[in-house]
Amino acid sequence: MSFIEIVLGILQGADVTAEVTFFGLLYAVPFAVLAGVLQHFSTGAARWAITALIEFWRSTSVIVLLYVFYYSLPAFGIELSAVAVGAMVLGLNAGAYSSQSVRAALQSLDRGQCEAGLALGLNRFAVLRWIELPQALRKMIPTFVNEAIQLIKGTALVSLITLTDMTFRAKQIAQSTYDPVAIYSGLLLCYLMVCYPVTLLGRHLERSTGKLGERVNEL
Amino acid sequence: MSFDLAFAVEIIPRVLEGIGNTILVGILSFIGATLLGFLWEMLRRSNRWVRPIVQFLVDAIRSTPALVQIYFLFFVLPYYGVVLPAILVGIFGLSFYYSGYISEVFKAGIEAVPAGQSEAALSLGLNRWDTVMYVVAPQMLRNIAAPLGAYSIGILKSTPLLAVIAVPEMLGSAFDVASDTYRYAEPMFIAGVLFLLLALIAAFLVGTLERRLGLLGTSH
Repeated sequence: MSFIEIVLGILQGADVTAEVTFFGLLYAVPFAVLAGVLQHFSTGAARWAITALIEFWRSTSVIVLLYVFYYSLPAFGIELSAVAVGAMVLGLNAGAYSSQSVRAALQSLDRGQCEAGLALGLNRFAVLRWIELPQALRKMIPTFVNEAIQLIKGTALVSLITLTDMTFRAKQIAQSTYDPVAIYSGLLLCYLMVCYPVTLLGRHLERSTGKLGERVNEL
Repeated sequence: MSFDLAFAVEIIPRVLEGIGNTILVGILSFIGATLLGFLWEMLRRSNRWVRPIVQFLVDAIRSTPALVQIYFLFFVLPYYGVVLPAILVGIFGLSFYYSGYISEVFKAGIEAVPAGQSEAALSLGLNRWDTVMYVVAPQMLRNIAAPLGAYSIGILKSTPLLAVIAVPEMLGSAFDVASDTYRYAEPMFIAGVLFLLLALIAAFLVGTLERRLGLLGTSH
């Protein structure tokens, strides 16, 4: 097999990679905003509970959690498809990290913003919806971009729970063709083509907003 | 097949057999990643011909999955006749992957030291070396302590990746139990709990260390 054939073979798995990434984002973004806002506003036991949930997703290892959910949940009577497990674990992990920058962005806003909104007769929810969140979300765009890269890269792990993504395709090709250099360079190239432009975008946004995402990149 | 709690408790010692390697791999990879990351940042600052090449390398490291980088090293090195124990390949792979991120930590840490600091030191008659060693470096170290601590935990959480290249760490032990007993639910669950506990303990230790360093820094 030529290098081009190998790369095309690997790209046959791109749809699964895209699918897991897409559903992962559907978990990540709402969870990040909801958890960040709730952590910012809640007090007492509620705050303790939401913090514990966020810390659970931030403290667990994605690869271990994929296996735990894929193999252990059925024993408790919960049957999820591999795509569902992959999207949920990767998405909530990325979401939990992002939630911390949602909270930090909300905390960093000037108190006067909220006070002015309330003084103008808006209720607390309207202040959050129309004044605080739009400003906070703008600050978080670099973090979200970096999280998206983590999510795309994380999808390589779903090859371990039997999904035929790009990494899985490469392993399949490696079983029939002994050419590790071409196969694994091709695989690196495939991820690079997707993620490199996003990495550059993230770097540009970080520079223009002047704020580094505080994420620990695990994958 | 339902979850057998007694069996789960019974296999804890067997899963724990791998914890030594998990910790060893974590520590060595952290040291390797820090050294490599520092090297990338120094090269990036060295001259204008090297800079774009190293910059691309760092961005490329950050744009590909750790799993794929580990596969690459594990399958490609033997092709060129370099046969290393899996654990060494794993340590090198994790060091390489994280070096891309840690070089950014060094970069931010150095840039956060105000230019006036080194200008002042130079104008007071310190030479270049003393300026770096006694003025810039100590301030940089305080800037990088917290992110480096966070990455040390990130690396520890990534060590189970090495189970895919048969390094006998804790997730690998869990797989051994699973393939011996044909039960996956309990070993995976126990591995999940143990890794969570390990990460929480590590986070606590790193936090304590940071506070100590913080105290040292201010009394200085």
